[in-house]
Amino acid sequence: MTLRIFIRTLAGACLLALSLASFAHAVAAAETKPAAGRRVAVVVSTLNNPWFVVLAETARDRARELGYEATIFDSQNDPAKESQHFDNLISSGYRAVLFNCTDAKGSVANVRRAKAAGVPVFCMDREIEANDAATSQILSDNYSGCVALGQYFVEQIGETGKYIELLGLVADTNTWNRSKGFHSVVDRFPGLKMVAQQSADFDRSKALEVLEALLQRNPDIDAVFCGNDAMAMGAYQALLAAGKAGRVKVFGFDGADDAVKAVAEGKIAATVMQFPKTMARSAAENADKYIKGERKFPQRTPVAVELVTKANVKKFGDYGRK
Amino acid sequence: MAASDPAGQASPRPQTAPAARGGLKAVLLVVAVLAVLLTFFPLFRVVSLTAKPAAPANAAATAAPAAFDAALAAAKIWQTELPAAHPRAVELSKLAPAIRANADAAKAQLAKAAGFGTAYFFLRGSARVVARERNLLRLAPAGAESEIVALRIGPVFGNTVRDGSGLLDVNSFPGLQEFNALSAELNTLVEKNVLPLLRAKAVVGATIQFVGCAEAPESAADAGEPLLMIVPVHAEVR
Repeated sequence: MTLRIFIRTLAGACLLALSLASFAHAVAAAETKPAAGRRVAVVVSTLNNPWFVVLAETARDRARELGYEATIFDSQNDPAKESQHFDNLISSGYRAVLFNCTDAKGSVANVRRAKAAGVPVFCMDREIEANDAATSQILSDNYSGCVALGQYFVEQIGETGKYIELLGLVADTNTWNRSKGFHSVVDRFPGLKMVAQQSADFDRSKALEVLEALLQRNPDIDAVFCGNDAMAMGAYQALLAAGKAGRVKVFGFDGADDAVKAVAEGKIAATVMQFPKTMARSAAENADKYIKGERKFPQRTPVAVELVTKANVKKFGDYGRK
Repeated sequence: MAASDPAGQASPRPQTAPAARGGLKAVLLVVAVLAVLLTFFPLFRVVSLTAKPAAPANAAATAAPAAFDAALAAAKIWQTELPAAHPRAVELSKLAPAIRANADAAKAQLAKAAGFGTAYFFLRGSARVVARERNLLRLAPAGAESEIVALRIGPVFGNTVRDGSGLLDVNSFPGLQEFNALSAELNTLVEKNVLPLLRAKAVVGATIQFVGCAEAPESAADAGEPLLMIVPVHAEVR
């Protein structure tokens, strides 16, 4: 009798456990299925620069058009914050990352961690220095852009003169691809002397401060070459305050709206149009293809850039060609 | 208990033993079913918080990356791969009219571009020098004499030579910095091996046979303006 009661109780407990297991599994599946299948993260180096806002928002919007829930994570140019974002998105079941890194070398570990957890990473605009971590990298041809900018620089300044270079983030390969492209041209003209080269971290306020200080020691410069448009706009403000705007020519890179407008107004001599919307859309579309099963992606896809001068500025606007 | 034993007496063992065995079988069956179900549909999963190293994509990726020697890579391309590709270059006498007729169609059919990158023509031809400037020659192509093309004889910049032949894939190199360094080395080889002859002997009226690379134009240039700016990778002057 006691055994019979025990057996019935045990059987009942098993059935209850089975029911609970099925119910728990169903609940878990209901909770995780949309999250795992439909969430895409956009991790961007900074939202303190309109160019990156366009990049991130275009990536988010394209992902949404493709049917995903997309969230933007701002790394604020801080590798530690970027790392935290990756920890969170990996544990939260995001299905893919559209990524604009803070550090070409340092960010590789984050991408590898995501890959190991089964979360593919699609780089936009900024390169990571690894060929086997990201699923794809869609990158501007910065070197070619600055070769064209360098040639225009020589046309505008002539073969003799003094200039200052404001570099971007030193840990970003874009900084060096731009600088090297520019110098591959300008250094061929011995009469063009670079009197100072300093980083302003791609930041407008820093560029203003740095150039103000450099102008104290180098008041007789002819030009400033800036690794991006935010710094070019900051440099222009510094020159304006020093009463040198117009006489000292400023060259930028990015094709940001305010810089394109400044080129049209003659405040900035030239910029180089990158196409952030093309890069962001392509990254989101690659992520969608990956989620749907495609696995063959070129590791790096270059995106052409175009020199913007007063002569052709009418063709450009809204972060691309009109 | 009352239901199983209305008499209120203990049932003799021989009557309860078969029922107990049946119950035991049922328990074992339920446990087995549970075990199978929980194996395939676990209530939770244990995941290591420490990421495992990513599996390498291929054997090349596992090897420690050797330092990239751009000069060595450029020399190999210059000596073997580029000369072998010369016969594949499109004839300028065909290309020039194609660009004049429809620059977009000529680009789509005859130029090469990596990804969303700049498109380049790899071309060859014969042309007569009609004018000479500091850094370029103006040429009238044989078979398309009404057109003018420019041949660069001054410093060579950018990726025209690297990307123009369509031989090289960025994904075969460690990264963009190395790929760009290759450009600089190839440009140096053009300046050392091709341009001195042109600077010395390409006088107005001379005929030049060349192989070169040129960026595909967005539209055909106005008449009298160079249709293409060609960077030569091989040249002979007659």
